Amino acid sequence: MMRKLWTVFRKEVVDNLRDRRTLLTVLVFGPLFGPIFYVAIMNVAVNQQIANFNRPLKLPVAGAEYAPHLIGYLRQHNTQIEPAPADPRQAVKDGKADVVLVIPKDYGAAFDAGRPATLQLVMDQAKQSAQKNVSRARDLLEAYEREITALRLLARGVDPRATTPLAVETVDVSTPEARAGMLLAFIPYFFLFAAVIGAFYLAIDATAGERERGSLEPLLTTAVARSTLISGKLAAVTLFSAVSLGLDVVALSWSQGLIPAAKLNIVVNFGGHTALAIFLVMLPFCLLIAALLTVVASFTRSYKEAQTWLSFIFILPMIPVFALFLFPTEPTIWMMFVPALSQDVLATALMKGMALGAGFTAISVLSTLIFGVLLAWLAVWLYRREKVLG
Amino acid sequence: MIEVENIHKRFGKVQAVNGVSFRVADGRITGLLGPNGAGKSTTLRILSTVLKPDQGTVRVDGSDVRADPLAARLKLGVLPHASGLYPRLTARENIRYYGELNGLGGQALNARIDELAELLEMREFADRPAKGISQGQRIKVALARALVHKPRNLALDEPTNGLDVMATRALRATIRRLRDQGHCVLFSSHVMQEVAQLCDAIVIIAHGRIVAQGTPEDIRRQTGETDLEEAFVKAVDESGASA
Repeated sequence: MMRKLWTVFRKEVVDNLRDRRTLLTVLVFGPLFGPIFYVAIMNVAVNQQIANFNRPLKLPVAGAEYAPHLIGYLRQHNTQIEPAPADPRQAVKDGKADVVLVIPKDYGAAFDAGRPATLQLVMDQAKQSAQKNVSRARDLLEAYEREITALRLLARGVDPRATTPLAVETVDVSTPEARAGMLLAFIPYFFLFAAVIGAFYLAIDATAGERERGSLEPLLTTAVARSTLISGKLAAVTLFSAVSLGLDVVALSWSQGLIPAAKLNIVVNFGGHTALAIFLVMLPFCLLIAALLTVVASFTRSYKEAQTWLSFIFILPMIPVFALFLFPTEPTIWMMFVPALSQDVLATALMKGMALGAGFTAISVLSTLIFGVLLAWLAVWLYRREKVLG
Repeated sequence: MIEVENIHKRFGKVQAVNGVSFRVADGRITGLLGPNGAGKSTTLRILSTVLKPDQGTVRVDGSDVRADPLAARLKLGVLPHASGLYPRLTARENIRYYGELNGLGGQALNARIDELAELLEMREFADRPAKGISQGQRIKVALARALVHKPRNLALDEPTNGLDVMATRALRATIRRLRDQGHCVLFSSHVMQEVAQLCDAIVIIAHGRIVAQGTPEDIRRQTGETDLEEAFVKAVDESGASA
């Protein structure tokens, strides 16, 4: 039986290695999609954020001549004062300026008289990309206000500390690894993606493809038990899934060097040992997804139909990843019983350098393997039915 | 020898095979003849163990297809109606895969494939990927695949479908050669002339029942027609009228 299982396994591997699309998917697209996407997005995002803070704030000001002291203060604090457009509201509405400071004519009189002096900050709340400059401008004005308050109190012989009864300090106890959490939240999806797409075409070829070519019926007349036939096919699908996953883990581990992690004051724990641990923790998922894709593809009549149905399966591993992204929760033991979710949690913990304990890993591995074996049984059962001939 | 004993098979409301019994002897070509939808393919699928009969059974050289399907499969070579090859494997690799699945291996298997390449005249395309060979050549590979484990019994489901005249003649010659080597050949077709030319015995099936069987002479006698085609039409019509 083992010899025939090996025969089926080897035939599926050799046959599908000759298919260029399958090969490209398993060796290139599956493993590299995640890292390329990740490195590109991260670099763009990080560099933009850093650049925004170092660059002087360009602030169009109308009526700058009415508040020379304020303008001087702004200039000292990395602000580049620019002439305001003729119609500030229209300019902001049209997106020509992120924010415009309007100083009315009576600003000086009110200021000197000690009355609240009105300033207008023209902005568009709905324009997301402008919010950074808006809050920078607002922060500067508030800092200036605090300085003036302190000076006025001093002039009246009052200790300025009277206006700050509280001094709230925040103490950040997060480790640099944990701060990387947001950054790491979607990496497990790339692992799951690579595992699914690695299995994708071979699972279709070995089931719906076999039927469509008309090679299934003669195959079923050979002296091989159907359980052996399906086991050999499943082993081949699992191998392709694992190869795609393995390459993806290596590529993502290596790509950490291309992320400006230091600039974000974070540390990503993703060296060789972590990569190996992640690969091993994810491996049961390969068997599970191989069996799941095989079962679903076994219901379909043609390659095309199988492709359509199997595409839905790409959404499945996304669900736990997005759920965790939207509702971040501490890892709990029940999560380990849910395939994809458990691998997501474990991989994230490994990258954060958190220790979840052997119990978590054992439950994840065992429960995923059990689900995988149950699905494999279902596949064997499907192939024992006469309807399998279509 | 293949012994079909009173097999029944129903798909939903359709009684595809309704009490079919016949016997296919060694060293002869037996034609299973019937119009489309008569139950030929279902009968062949039951004897190739792909379908299970609701009632009755088939024995292949004494092995019961229900009790021991794996043993029956080893004694039977099948060329199903849909007989696809793996397009990315060469003809030789396609045949070797089936040889290994049927328990062969090593030097013996290589020798057997060479022997089949000789017998079926496949030398020139044996090492080409199957997607690049002609329909006639594909049937030869599928036949070689069915023969690789040296089964004594052969079941061929409309093997000449889609073949041109030359390829059909070559296939017929091959089937006769196999008969002369002592194989038991069951050959299904809906083409009267083909069966009349090739077969030593004929089983006519219509509406899931056997309507006539015997040598071509027997069938002419049974129906009272001198022309075999007329005999066939008459036998089928009568069964339709009674059904």
